[in-house]
Amino acid sequence: MLIDSILSGYGLFMTPMAIGLTLLGVLFGLVVGALPGLGPLMGIILLLPVAIGLPPVAAMGFLIAIFVGGSCGGSISAILLPIPGTPLAAATLFDGYPMAKKGRASDAIGIAISASAIGGLFGGVVLILLAPALAQFASNFAPPEYAALAVTGLIAIAVISKESLLKGLIAGCFGLLIATIGTDEFSTGYRFTFDSHHMLNGFHIVAVVVGLFAISEMAYQTMSDDLIKKPEIEIARPGFGSIFLTLKHWKNLLRSSTIGAFFGTLPGAGGVISSFTSYAVAKASAGPDEKYGEGAEGGVVATESANNSTVGGTLVPSLALGIPGDASSAVLIGALLILGFFPGPTLFEQQPEIVGGIFLVYLASNIFLLIAGILATPLFVYVLRIPKAYLIPIVLLLCCIGTYALQASVFDLFVMLGFGIVGILFRAANYPLSPIVIGIILGPLLENNLRRSLLISDNGYWIFLDRPISAILIIVNIILIAGAVWFALRGKAHSNTALMDKH
Amino acid sequence: MTIRKKYLNWLVILFLSVVIAVVFQQIFTSMTEQGIASGGPYDNAAAYPRLIAILIGVLIALQFVLSQFRSTENDSDELVVNIADLRRPAILLSIFAVYLTLLGILGYHLTTTPMIVSVMVLCGMRFSLTTVGAALVISFVLAYAFEVYLKVVLPGGIFSLNIPW
Amino acid sequence: MRIKKLIAASIAAVVISSSAALAEFPERTVENIFPWSAGVAMSVSQIIAKAMGEELGVSLPVVSTPGAAGTKAFKTAMNRPADGYTIFDGYVAPLVLQPVLGNADWTYKDFKPLHSAVSNAFSIGVKKGDPRFKTFEDLMEYGKANPGKLRYSSGSRNNLPHMVIAKVLQTYGVVAQNIPYKTDGDARKDLKAGVLDFSFINVGAYLQDKEGFDILLVLSELDGAKKSYDGAPNITDLGIDTGLSGLAPMGWTWWLVHKDTPDEVADVLREAMKKAMSRDDVKEAITRVGFVPLEWDHTQYDDVVGPVSGQLGAMGNALKWEEEELKKLN
Repeated sequence: MLIDSILSGYGLFMTPMAIGLTLLGVLFGLVVGALPGLGPLMGIILLLPVAIGLPPVAAMGFLIAIFVGGSCGGSISAILLPIPGTPLAAATLFDGYPMAKKGRASDAIGIAISASAIGGLFGGVVLILLAPALAQFASNFAPPEYAALAVTGLIAIAVISKESLLKGLIAGCFGLLIATIGTDEFSTGYRFTFDSHHMLNGFHIVAVVVGLFAISEMAYQTMSDDLIKKPEIEIARPGFGSIFLTLKHWKNLLRSSTIGAFFGTLPGAGGVISSFTSYAVAKASAGPDEKYGEGAEGGVVATESANNSTVGGTLVPSLALGIPGDASSAVLIGALLILGFFPGPTLFEQQPEIVGGIFLVYLASNIFLLIAGILATPLFVYVLRIPKAYLIPIVLLLCCIGTYALQASVFDLFVMLGFGIVGILFRAANYPLSPIVIGIILGPLLENNLRRSLLISDNGYWIFLDRPISAILIIVNIILIAGAVWFALRGKAHSNTALMDKH
Repeated sequence: MTIRKKYLNWLVILFLSVVIAVVFQQIFTSMTEQGIASGGPYDNAAAYPRLIAILIGVLIALQFVLSQFRSTENDSDELVVNIADLRRPAILLSIFAVYLTLLGILGYHLTTTPMIVSVMVLCGMRFSLTTVGAALVISFVLAYAFEVYLKVVLPGGIFSLNIPW
Repeated sequence: MRIKKLIAASIAAVVISSSAALAEFPERTVENIFPWSAGVAMSVSQIIAKAMGEELGVSLPVVSTPGAAGTKAFKTAMNRPADGYTIFDGYVAPLVLQPVLGNADWTYKDFKPLHSAVSNAFSIGVKKGDPRFKTFEDLMEYGKANPGKLRYSSGSRNNLPHMVIAKVLQTYGVVAQNIPYKTDGDARKDLKAGVLDFSFINVGAYLQDKEGFDILLVLSELDGAKKSYDGAPNITDLGIDTGLSGLAPMGWTWWLVHKDTPDEVADVLREAMKKAMSRDDVKEAITRVGFVPLEWDHTQYDDVVGPVSGQLGAMGNALKWEEEELKKLN
């Protein structure tokens, strides 16, 4: 049945239009991913009106390719600028940027692209083979499980911000608090809106992320003395050798791709959590000589394979159940509906050729990503050769237009500036910034599912222990907290090297 | 003149304390007026932010207590920042703030080129025709790309200056 | 030299742009301010926007501006100039319901209508084959015997489905707990997982997964709605009087512009939208996702929207009633 559906989709995919648009989508995705402030979601939304006029498989190929390219593109700016073009690539910065500083920028990008493509292909295999089983498992999750899972994500903050467990947690809680701004879903009351209609839906996460990372980075950049000098960076062309560099980390690849695909199948979890988790796991299982945080290839491999594998995972519940894993796949589902196809078990039964076609465009996107991405790398490395005096205003302007484009709001630009100042302050005092972003993402997941669980429950907090999966997650959380505290206390005894001392 | 990193942490703590204070101030004023500061999970929108605010307070207190035990251990706290180095970032943020304010009033096309030129000059470029030309090109190329290919309508300001590409 | 030319070209471009302001409307992108997050409803607006943009000869992007039950989008659009370049995607929630509930200081009369867009009927459904509830009466009997024990979702709180469901429950004297969800899909997933007892199901969701739910009650007296749900019983069949008829118990949107927009500009938009809405490809694309394209033009706005506003206003107490009954139980 599986082979049949792929074969029946073959004819729909093998058209010049479908293949051409898939390739175009990958390149466009790489660019919107690399541009700070944009990302796969923006790319998909912007081209949705174009796509809905096309044949279904070509349209889905175009949009899925933007999703795939966009999920990888953020790594390019994370390595070169260093600004994660998307929150997905925030963890790529930890080792990608140190690699670039050591003169291995093109290797880092080559590895990021190869790992993304290989992770993406792994996600594709998961999508094709394990979709029904994984989807069934995840679809049993209800509010108590999601609340427990959000707490797991929060503990991951403590694990990744090795600088200081406490500072990481403080930053994470600050993010949780930011997420409460706006209209409360349950009471329909307004929280921290100060009677401004701009605040009714809280701060836009892109405005916050661009401010925290990009604006603060630009301000820091102006402190250096070589602003008008052309940086001496050799334009190395990473041949397809970076594929082998990547494959050397096959254990890491397999593990991170598995983590990515797993988180992808859980609605709401998404690429950011999976890339940070994979990074933390890879770092924990690496030998001391690998020097994570100082330019370890494994760090880039872990985050990039995970966040692209997540794309494949996200498509599992999206296609099999019609439940989107994140905002990007929600828009993809919307596009499918316009095209006249209802994702769900019936789609698999009644229109297997569409399912097969989607499987094929997804696999093709990742192959195109590998080839086109590596060939275009010198172009992206060239960005670093532009003197900072040009780069700083260009990036500032890009941040402005990109953030403005989200909802045509000048208010968002001031939010961006405000968080730029917060970012500068937090960096100056050695607080990690990424947990703020994770907190903002997990905030609604945690609060809403917590309150939902309590509304559903007849006997208060016991609902979390009455349900087996939720109970297991709670136990896992307790073990993680205990472990994190134990490591933190032990780490204090030795003088630990900071993970992100420059960031 | 220099400032120790340790004192920057106090700035962050001060900032977070203000945030916590605002949370409680809003709970006692706006949220109480709206009737969403009490009741069960369906109606009480204040319980969760209050919990998080308290958690931040506890973590800050814990950080303070721990820092008393290992005051000399953490080298990074002893690092110093030269105040003179902060001049350029401060000016950059000021230029940016002025730009954003004027953007809504005068529109994208009148404000962007001066902003880019100012930042370039701040970064040490000479003010010349080349600088202005480069700024104009950057401003218009980006506007073209976004308005034509990505269908974004950039702010036109009070004069409604929008280019019909 | 090259740079000088570029400067000259750029200056010329600015001059052209300011003189072009006198040219014929529309000479640049027109935006639709859409009040919800991306999803099926936004896709439907994009179908119309695309067709209308083709008729106008400019692009017409749909800008998602969610928040505060749709009122954030309205406030955002109101702060734009009344020049016809901003269209309100006038969903019933921000246009009629929120003003009725006292959460907005405008009424439907404060806008200039372009054309009606689409409607979308709701129903109450349970998990397929739920042995407890074969019919809607079973559900209500259980609800009466177990006050406050039934868990349901209308998507978000105080939205139109919530109001209609609360009204139906009130007529039966049943108190149930609404559980808000950000996306309807999550609510339906939890319905299937047995966490919720019943949920609102719109036509799109039903078409997508007919095997997932038993539709117990279609919340509309219109035959078209009943047919979309394969003949499931509607409020007329069960003799329920909610005081709602026509569009009132349904989700719908009517595209609008700012009241001060010049008539000649509004007429250009009306003409384009009318043409777009009468195109067969547009109607077919809308129908495919379970929405119903509407054919009323701007002259019928008061006749159609007026009664909806009146009826919703008259039943506003259902939500209050539910809140108070729930409080008594706690």
